[in-house]
Amino acid sequence: MKNLRDVWSSRFMHYIGEVQKYMQFIFTGHIAIVLVFLIGAGGYQYSEWLKVVQTDFPAEVLIAVIIGILLAFSRPTTLLREPDQVYLLPLESKMSLYFSKALAWTFWSQVWIVAIVYIVSIPLLKAVTELTTVEIWTIFLLTIVLKYLSVRGEFSYRYSERGQMVWVDRFIRAVIFAAAIYMGLHAQLLLAVIAIVISVVYMIVFSKKSVGEPVPYEHFVKLEQNRMMSFYRFANYFTDVPHLHGSIRRRSWMDWLYKFVPYGKENAQKYLVFRTFIRTDDHFYLWVRLTAISAIIAAFVDIPVVTWIVAGALSFATTIQLKQALLSSGEFRMDMLYPLPDHARQLAVKQIVRLAMISQAIVVGLCAMTQPMFYIAFIIVLVISELTSKVSK
Amino acid sequence: MSVLEVQHVTGGYTRKPVIKDLSFTIGKGELVGLIGLNGAGKSTTIKHIIGTMLPKEGDIRLNGVTLKEDTDKYRTAFSYIPETPVLYDELTLREHLELTAMAYGIDKATLDARSEVLLKEFRMEKRLNWFPSHFSKGMRQKVMIMCAFLVNPSLYIIDEPFVGLDPLGIQSLLDQMDEKKKEGASILMSTHILSTAEKHCDRIILLHEGRVRAQGTMADLRQSFAMPYATLDDLYIAMTKERDHEELA
Repeated sequence: MKNLRDVWSSRFMHYIGEVQKYMQFIFTGHIAIVLVFLIGAGGYQYSEWLKVVQTDFPAEVLIAVIIGILLAFSRPTTLLREPDQVYLLPLESKMSLYFSKALAWTFWSQVWIVAIVYIVSIPLLKAVTELTTVEIWTIFLLTIVLKYLSVRGEFSYRYSERGQMVWVDRFIRAVIFAAAIYMGLHAQLLLAVIAIVISVVYMIVFSKKSVGEPVPYEHFVKLEQNRMMSFYRFANYFTDVPHLHGSIRRRSWMDWLYKFVPYGKENAQKYLVFRTFIRTDDHFYLWVRLTAISAIIAAFVDIPVVTWIVAGALSFATTIQLKQALLSSGEFRMDMLYPLPDHARQLAVKQIVRLAMISQAIVVGLCAMTQPMFYIAFIIVLVISELTSKVSK
Repeated sequence: MSVLEVQHVTGGYTRKPVIKDLSFTIGKGELVGLIGLNGAGKSTTIKHIIGTMLPKEGDIRLNGVTLKEDTDKYRTAFSYIPETPVLYDELTLREHLELTAMAYGIDKATLDARSEVLLKEFRMEKRLNWFPSHFSKGMRQKVMIMCAFLVNPSLYIIDEPFVGLDPLGIQSLLDQMDEKKKEGASILMSTHILSTAEKHCDRIILLHEGRVRAQGTMADLRQSFAMPYATLDDLYIAMTKERDHEELA
């Protein structure tokens, strides 16, 4: 790698590739369609509400607070990685070049959020305030400038304080920004400019403070890891993210269930698989998600045939995905050495999947109660699941 | 009678074998050290013994049977402590012990009695309901050690046991090993900590480039290298140099 500019560009390409890869799945998944409907319905409601909104509605305060809070969240995207604390150490003094690239990306990747929220609120401003179009767009520009200051400010704060008490910093910035927007919305441009000057000073204080400080690699790397993790976790709702090791939760409120697997050699694998299913978020939420969809359709769709088809399809999907997830065995596990019959794991998975599917059948059956022949949904879930389990490898 | 018999075993990941015509035995109540450089074939040897890799040639017998002849008997005969702890993220410490006991057919009363002793020895009594994600490397290692000793098998296979353990943990492990030896169990231990190996092992197997270069007691080894006052470190260095010379010649 020749210089830090190249380091940044190769990181950036990799990052964009990664985001694109999962975005495809997100936008082709079933939840994307739900989102489109939700946005459509929300937009319609909003436009209807604008027709009847009272002129004393406190739009300025509301918008100032919302935009102020959104502006304050300006987490820097540095794309730093763990090995950088060692390998980039000799380049410490030249890192400002890298960070200016990183901050430019941080700004452009986040500014659209406040921009959209502000643009959406313009019809409301037109309805309840007397602001002219020019004034409204001047405040839009003010928002963009504040976003730039916020990105710089949060970065400098995190740099100089190593991320300690970043919430206090965010709160202070949110208050200053909200004040600036509020003044702007009341056409007090002079006061708005004063608020901007305050935020510039605030930013400069921490920027000065961070001069000469070593790069807080540990903090920035952790920040990056958290950000990628939350992205992967989000993407995981739509598709299987390979390097996401499902997070584990105890769910102790379900501990009583384990009593159904009594102590004994023949139950060793069942003991393990049962806990793996309940405590691994991936497996557990897979079941919750598909069961919930099936149950909602059963409860609210009045055409029995449709609920049966959905119940069958989702029973198939749940069974096959759960079975594959619980059987997958890439890595070495201690139970591979246990003196148990070869098929013990398979048998245990089969039984736990059956248990999960009986529970799904009960939930769906109960939700279909109001319909004639509601028990058919119950039977369909069970039969399809058993067939899937038998036929699949 | 030998607990473990490795006879003319050749094996590895690809066509090129990592271990070549390996033969050694471990008798009842013996602590045997498996010593070698990185890449000498220690881990591969262990993988063959625990049965996650199968030999291309040769036989491995545990208590007289091969894995194929009697899987259950073979697997019950040993417990294994891997170099890197392998734990279930979704199980607590208590559940790790319980699962191991269930799998090896140990009844509840024995489990309770044995785990009480082990938990005290390794100072983990207060962490019974913790998940592995909250454990340090040393604690994870201790979980593996406790699970292995809970089983009480004829043979313990221990891969690099001292890395990551604190001094008290190392002492507890050595004490446990000593106790099990007295009860008649055998131990195969691979390690780089040669001074500890020299002090505690009854016999040493020196592995070099997939072959057994020398094996026996410290006295045997000193004799075969003609270095009467040598430590194991000296012998080890001599062995690697000797091979380098041969390769150059």
